[in-house]
Amino acid sequence: MNSCIGFILDEKLIEIDFSKERKFTPTTTVLNYLRDLPNHKGVKEGCAEGDCGACTIVIAELDGRNGLQYRAVNSCLIFLPKLHGKWLITVENIKNPDGSLHPVQQAMVDYHGSQCGFCTPGFIMSMFALYKSNLPNTRAVIEDALTGNLCRCTGYQPIIEAAEFALQDRKPDHFSKIEKEIIAILKKIVLKSMQMATDRQKYFMPVSVTELLYIKNQNPDAIIINGASDIALRVTKKYELIPSIIDTMQIEELHVIRKSIDHLYCGSAITLNQLMEVSREWYPAIYEACSVFGSKQIREMATIGGNLGTASPIGDLPPVLAAYKTDVVVVSEKGARIIPVDEFICGYRKTSLKKGEIIKGIKIPKPMDGTIIKFYKVSKRKDLDISTVSAAFRLTPDKEKKINEIKIIFGGMAEMTKHAVKTEKFLKGKSRTRETIEQAMPILEEEFTPISDARSSAQFRSVIAKNLLLRFFDDLADT
Amino acid sequence: MTPKIPHESARKHVTGEAVYVDDMLVNNQLLIGKVVYSPHAHAKIKSFHLDVARNLPGVYAVIRYQDIPGENQMGPVVHDELCLAKDEVNCIGQAVFLIAAESEEICREAEKLIKIEYKPSEAILSIEQAIAKNNLMGPERKIETGDVDKALKKCKHKISGSLTTGAQEHWYLETQAAVCIPGEDNEMKVYSSTQHPSETQAIVAGVLGINRNDVVVEMRRMGGAFGGKETQANHVAAWSALLAKATGQPVKIRLFRDDDQIMTGKRHPYLINYKAGFDNKGKLIAVEFELNANGGMATDLSFAILERAMFHVDNAYYIPNLRVIGRVWKTNQPSNTAFRGFGGPQGMAAIETIVDRIARQLKMDAAEIRRRNFYGINDRNLTHYDQKVENNHLKMMFDRILHSSEYLKRRQDINEFNSKNEFKKKGMSLTPVKFGISFTTSFLNQAGALVNIYQDGTVLVNHGGTEMGQGLHTKIQQIAAAELGISFEKIKLTATDTSKVPNTSATAASSGTDLNGMAVKNAIDKLKSRMIPFIVDHFNEKGEIIKSQIRAIHFINDCIIDSENPARKIDFAKAVNMCYIKQVPLSATGFYRTPDIYFNREKGKGKPFHYYVFGMAVSEVLLDTLTGYHKILRTDILHDVGDSLNPAIDMGQVQGGYIQGVGWCTTEECKWDEKGNLLNHSPDTYKIPSIQDIPEDFRCSLLEDVPNPSTIRKSKAVGEPPFMLAFSAWLAVKDAISAVADHQIEPEFSIPATNEVILLSLEKLRSIKKQ
Ligand SMILES: Cc1cc2nc3c(=O)[nH]c(=O)nc-3n(C[C@H](O)[C@H](O)[C@H](O)COP(=O)(O)OP(=O)(O)OC[C@H]3O[C@@H](n4cnc5c(N)ncnc54)[C@H](O)[C@@H]3O)c2cc1C
Ligand code: FES
Ligand code: FES
Repeated sequence: MNSCIGFILDEKLIEIDFSKERKFTPTTTVLNYLRDLPNHKGVKEGCAEGDCGACTIVIAELDGRNGLQYRAVNSCLIFLPKLHGKWLITVENIKNPDGSLHPVQQAMVDYHGSQCGFCTPGFIMSMFALYKSNLPNTRAVIEDALTGNLCRCTGYQPIIEAAEFALQDRKPDHFSKIEKEIIAILKKIVLKSMQMATDRQKYFMPVSVTELLYIKNQNPDAIIINGASDIALRVTKKYELIPSIIDTMQIEELHVIRKSIDHLYCGSAITLNQLMEVSREWYPAIYEACSVFGSKQIREMATIGGNLGTASPIGDLPPVLAAYKTDVVVVSEKGARIIPVDEFICGYRKTSLKKGEIIKGIKIPKPMDGTIIKFYKVSKRKDLDISTVSAAFRLTPDKEKKINEIKIIFGGMAEMTKHAVKTEKFLKGKSRTRETIEQAMPILEEEFTPISDARSSAQFRSVIAKNLLLRFFDDLADT
Repeated sequence: MTPKIPHESARKHVTGEAVYVDDMLVNNQLLIGKVVYSPHAHAKIKSFHLDVARNLPGVYAVIRYQDIPGENQMGPVVHDELCLAKDEVNCIGQAVFLIAAESEEICREAEKLIKIEYKPSEAILSIEQAIAKNNLMGPERKIETGDVDKALKKCKHKISGSLTTGAQEHWYLETQAAVCIPGEDNEMKVYSSTQHPSETQAIVAGVLGINRNDVVVEMRRMGGAFGGKETQANHVAAWSALLAKATGQPVKIRLFRDDDQIMTGKRHPYLINYKAGFDNKGKLIAVEFELNANGGMATDLSFAILERAMFHVDNAYYIPNLRVIGRVWKTNQPSNTAFRGFGGPQGMAAIETIVDRIARQLKMDAAEIRRRNFYGINDRNLTHYDQKVENNHLKMMFDRILHSSEYLKRRQDINEFNSKNEFKKKGMSLTPVKFGISFTTSFLNQAGALVNIYQDGTVLVNHGGTEMGQGLHTKIQQIAAAELGISFEKIKLTATDTSKVPNTSATAASSGTDLNGMAVKNAIDKLKSRMIPFIVDHFNEKGEIIKSQIRAIHFINDCIIDSENPARKIDFAKAVNMCYIKQVPLSATGFYRTPDIYFNREKGKGKPFHYYVFGMAVSEVLLDTLTGYHKILRTDILHDVGDSLNPAIDMGQVQGGYIQGVGWCTTEECKWDEKGNLLNHSPDTYKIPSIQDIPEDFRCSLLEDVPNPSTIRKSKAVGEPPFMLAFSAWLAVKDAISAVADHQIEPEFSIPATNEVILLSLEKLRSIKKQ
């Protein structure tokens, strides 16, 4: 078994062998690792929970087409083994070798994008990742890329202007010049099955599902992580020591996307950003859900399997996937099973996974023409916030515009994602009039007894739920 | 002056090279400190055991209040805040024990090994509960003008009501942090992320029981502060100093985000009751305010904040009969503290609510009501505390922004939009700001500086102000360059240091540049007047018939010249060298005190402010009345900074202040459970504005050609006033809500107007409308 990871930092190959390492463990975060080095203190901790972006770094990795893909991520939520085979880029690396500033840095200086400067390294990294992408420099793209970076000083306006300017004309930078060398080094780092053990902890990185299932069987208490954007919080916020972890990062089968004529299949480890990209055409409501999911940095890490795996009552994917009648493919050493999303989540943070089973992927049928599916999320702040209430609607009208089929699924209204069964029943077969909807609203209000918490009161949740029904039908009026 | 130069540290910010307290490379003896704090809002400490924790390998010290060598006290003004709790705790987050260990992990392990037994008792957790228990922090305050009761009785139109404003967490990106390094004898070197190094020095000396000349506090930069590091940075510094003393090793404490949010105070929540009378034209005749502040468990700056709130209940409006009563209530919450605006926002929110209500009641445009009530130029220009409003730009700014924002046309468009849309409503509001500049405790308006000129012609400037992102050092550098007539690059500012400039005031009350800029100028004036006679001698050495005169010597373009005989000039660096050889002292201290300000607290009269800053904003929002979501479509701001020292930096303060104000007014909400636990203790549930929350169309400009008579280079302070421009967005939301009932019914509204507050207000309007 191999316990040594390899990655590039400062253009050099760094190896950490956890069987010998004293200072760092497999669940040391990249943020803490970097801040422990004398020359990488540019990366900042603002929250240690993925919400501020001060810790943003860029990870570049082979894109499978002989190039590199650069992704900005929150280093506070990344465990060291996830760097294996990758190029870790920090704010110290961005300026040009001759000491002059990179275009994104120069623009931030010229447009007065920094005041106290504490958020700035994070912004630079998000902007740098955008610089290396082929996305246009529209305001929408910039806002999306920078939503995960909070700034308390500037009011963001100068930062937007700096980004617009820096991204106008993206010339090759010094990273482009060394890409070939980097790719050569990265290719030499073998992706292999690994087991990193310290005296208190085991961290597995298998390379196949078969191997994963075997390890899981041997270590029934091991926690499976995909992106770890949820699990990492147990380490960074609750300071838990997780004794046994199985990381799916290296398992190619879990990273596949297959589109066929009537459905889309996504592996469990497909990230929210990847899902967003593939859903644009056939699944606009999924696209919508992704676009208000966390921040771009979070979406680079968060995965489909992880979102279903948490079975959180305020997870954003379960309602919208249910509206698309998605099936979850689970697998164990005994074989595979297919479970509709609705049944997959069966209680407060409870899935119907049996012992030894893992989430392999999801199958989303392409809806029939005429079916309308929409997703709504209400949170205190519109972006980078967890749902107070979310709702997905599926409507198939018949020829007379009557409600032939209706599915209404709520998040945040109960201990788990739940259908508004009574309302669905009431509406089925009725005509789509304002009167019908208004009759349905009190029924909807009655069928849930939401809770009050840090995000909102129960009363607000009840009002929102019935209003979203009206919002859905009001939005339909335009179509 | 080179105006739009970037922040002096901009290059270091973007490369990650700027060093903050937590980034400092100390030696390998550095220990990590941790604060063990109370989980109860109010409880007796019955027993505790520290030995097991002390014996954990890697732990160097676990200390409690008896181990404090000096005074167990860290209250900044009133000494009512213990450094470490004795036998009772008075809020969740109050420090009880301190741990120093090799690592954060060991600190946490040690904390788990400390067993404390508490006996909880009843706690006061809101203003209402404190009022019911009559738990005042101190005597109430009053400021009054005219005869309010009589005038109110006579008024034809009257309104009354109450307004609540919420707590706001500072959410500086850099949490509180300090490193203390013990030195020889009693010496303690403190690196602290503090707005007030002199007070940090005093508190550290106090808890250690040593003299202030044994303590040096150094502060290079803060990662944001906003008032949150004015007094409460002292705490972390005092705790790490105690641990450094106890262990004889350097100790760093940096609060984790959640601990910072739980332990430190916030903007004071206010409950404001008001009664107002006005005439048919909407002119205010008499207003009575009762301000109730939640002070938390100790005084901190609550009374100064209350005072500023009381000074600002008029905002930009002349109110002939006005009475404001202010009270601070003591609760079992962390002591609330300074936050940008310092009470101004709470006071102004109340009067803006009144004006807004008058407009709805009289069915007139709110902007017009505002205009009618503005302070006058020649009459109607005396505030309730008797200060005359001078150099008043309100009407001029109103006319300009009304025009530039196309207010009237957009008002029509909005009405039309609203009549066509059932579930989407637009709202717009124009609000003014008049904000008084100076510490209202008059003696605090003083500053010191130290300017050294070196033989190569470079200059080192120190002053008492601190850099927290507001660009103070950049402006000071510009001021020094302009006063010495040398290029910006020749001037360097280093960390604020109590051993270089002593007895300074906090960098607060927007006054950083006003006070320190003047002190630096004072030092430079001294240096110039020392150099000039030697320059004159030098020019006259050659025996010219027309002699150079002292009055004609100017410092300009890196030279010193005789303006009457421009051929006579000498390079600045050469002149410096010459002066050195002639034994001229090239180092000078500077000092400044703001002239002619005073305030008599008993009478409630005086001239507390050196001058006023004016600003105006128009914001338009689009509201989804089914979800309560709103989007700011456009904001126009016109703001007065006198002659701007640096328009880029000033604009940054205006935009940033406005957005921070929008946060307070909309998404930033603090809630507590019935035991007093803060529910929103991390950014997961505490929501400051993100990049997507700023106006789609954001048009800011600075008012030009309005030099301020008696300030450094005719500039004005800029830090706080723009915060309150956010009322335009807040009231635009209310305007949109109000449109649901055709502006016939007064909507319920408060701060923050979260989408929950908005939606429930809408629901209520809809149900009243149905009846
Ligand atoms: C700042 C921030 C913002 C967020 N915003 C949102 C948001 O807007 N909406 C939202 O819904 N969520 C949000 N989340 C929560 C989280 O990011 C998502 O739930 C995410 O999809 C989890 O995916 P992951 O791969 O990172 O999960 P992980 O942390 O890897 O795993 C989460 C859970 O799923 C299980 N699991 C993972 N993979 C498998 C597998 N293959 N088989 C079986 N079980 C598995 C794990 O054991 C664990 O219990 C946010 C989180 C953060 C930190
Ligand atoms: S530290 Fe805030 S997102 Fe990582
Ligand atoms: S510049 Fe201070 S937080 Fe962004």
